[in-house]
Amino acid sequence: MNLLELKNVSKIYGEVKALQNIELSVAQGEWLAIMGPSGSGKTTMMNIIGCMDKPTHGRVILDGTDISKENAKALTSVRRDKIGLIFQQFHLINYLTALENVMAAQYYHSMQDEKEALEALARVGLARRAKHLPSQLSGGEQQRVCIARALINYPMLILADEPTGNLDETNEKIVLDIFKALHKEGSTIVVVTHDPEVAENTQRTVILEHGKIAKINVNKKINGGNKI
Amino acid sequence: MFFRMVKGALFRQKGKMLMIAFTVALGVSLAVAMLNVMFDAGDKVNRELKTYGANINVIPKGASLLNDIYGLGEGAGISDKYLNESELGNIKTIFWAFNIVDFTPYLEMSAKLNGKTQVKISGTWFRHHLELPTGESLDTGMIAMKKWWKIQGEWLSDDDENYLMIETNAAAKNNISLGDNVKIFYGAKAYDFVVKGIFDSGSDEDAQVYLPLKKVQEITGKKGLVSRAEVSALTTPDNELSKRAAQNPNSLSIKEWETWYCTSYVSAVCYQIDEVITDSVSKPIRRVAQSEGAILEKTELLMLLITILSLAGAALGISNLVTASVMERSAEIGLLKAVGAYDIHISLLVITEIVIAGMIGAFAGYFAGIGFAQIIGHSVFGSAINIKPAVIPLVVFLVFAVIAAGSVPAVRFLLALRPAEVLHGR
Repeated sequence: MNLLELKNVSKIYGEVKALQNIELSVAQGEWLAIMGPSGSGKTTMMNIIGCMDKPTHGRVILDGTDISKENAKALTSVRRDKIGLIFQQFHLINYLTALENVMAAQYYHSMQDEKEALEALARVGLARRAKHLPSQLSGGEQQRVCIARALINYPMLILADEPTGNLDETNEKIVLDIFKALHKEGSTIVVVTHDPEVAENTQRTVILEHGKIAKINVNKKINGGNKI
Repeated sequence: MFFRMVKGALFRQKGKMLMIAFTVALGVSLAVAMLNVMFDAGDKVNRELKTYGANINVIPKGASLLNDIYGLGEGAGISDKYLNESELGNIKTIFWAFNIVDFTPYLEMSAKLNGKTQVKISGTWFRHHLELPTGESLDTGMIAMKKWWKIQGEWLSDDDENYLMIETNAAAKNNISLGDNVKIFYGAKAYDFVVKGIFDSGSDEDAQVYLPLKKVQEITGKKGLVSRAEVSALTTPDNELSKRAAQNPNSLSIKEWETWYCTSYVSAVCYQIDEVITDSVSKPIRRVAQSEGAILEKTELLMLLITILSLAGAALGISNLVTASVMERSAEIGLLKAVGAYDIHISLLVITEIVIAGMIGAFAGYFAGIGFAQIIGHSVFGSAINIKPAVIPLVVFLVFAVIAAGSVPAVRFLLALRPAEVLHGR
């Protein structure tokens, strides 16, 4: 069953065609990578899937609902209830502790639960750093707080933008291990990356060029990789 | 979480929040100072103006009629109608008794000075002690009423039966100096006096010679009578209602009449004086009353303008600071939107931060404003300004209005902010 479907999606900024007639389906529990050179439309696609932008043409169906024509308020609700966002720049609120950053997402979703937020941090190996401010954490640790924040509301879809882009090798491995574990648990993950090592771990890799899908690679090494 | 975020933002942006608090403090301090001075300035300016003379003339009814018919100057001394001296204390028992600053009676006569020059002589109170029917006591008279007079020698006292004060031009014309013996011829009799004071009133005073009231009553044989009285009262500038009432109080509706009677318009004070002095007609000395009203209105308008300008300046300052702060925090605001915060949540967060910083500023500004008001009071009026509690709710309202006005551009910015633009650069 498909969790996400992009049907003939295009995004045009004035003269620039950022995305052209994209057709893509993401199955529930699938781990998909989106790759491509700069300017190929990765970020635009990420924004449209993440309900932070709307397509100029085409339909985006998430969990059976067409979200392409929804207004900003409805898209905020979809984002809050169904999507967990992970950013390359982490985007933590720097005057809140790691724990509070996770709880901020809880606060806008439903109710704050400190115990649950601590468990989310424990899951990414940061239970002991819960009371630290972002400035007191390493880049890898900040990314793990960002992952914990994305996971706290049990999203249907985890959307990660270059999650290892700012990390060293050790932290990249830690983050990848977390993604692997999430995938094993059945999470649906879409990751935008430049990093072939990250893409190697996904089931499929979509290659974008000039706003179009140039190629889709199926990783046969990964269990279930034959699903398209 | 909301308050943790507010607290975090306040402490993290200490510099900006302090600037917002300082801007509000500056605006509020000026507003508080100006509003307090404005509310108190009426009395202060009025008292200040009262040092330049009376603004109400009380004359007997018959004399008033002659004035109205023949256009004779008030107090010309030609009437044979008089007021009772014993009733004058009642002036201090009217509804606006506390607004009566001073009053003094006059009994006028015409006599020959040293048997040669005809002069107008007035008997008056200089510093007269009165025991009022209300049990209060009062000292009133010329000395308090004519503070601007330049006196060579001394003021008379009410017991100086054999002394007089003479106007400077009359003294020069008759070759009279301080300490000279002079004779006043009235009827067939001559009375001896010593010149105790020579006064310069700065204007053409009707009377050229002043004596204690008792003495003139004795000379003229009009014991207990006075020909007129001057009253110095604190009054409110005239408006449409008071002008209509001055023409005919009976033309007012009951509600209008009550409003007029319970407001210290000069016409209302005159009306109330007439109620307590038998057969009297009180008339405002229009020139003085109108000038006082005009000065007061202009002073109040000036202070109101300063208040509005200072608050508008504060709103502009807040607007710049808050917009700069929100722009700096656009990534944070974008993130909150991305994780599910609605515009209303973020607007509330930002406005709460500004309101807290603003209230801290307003609190400090209020006390600074009281200080400024006292500085203004002492340096301009030579006395403290009475702090009006009514200013507090007014200032709270103004602070919220200023913060709301100052926050508009920032709120518009954050409403228009799209998370994709700040989080992913598109």
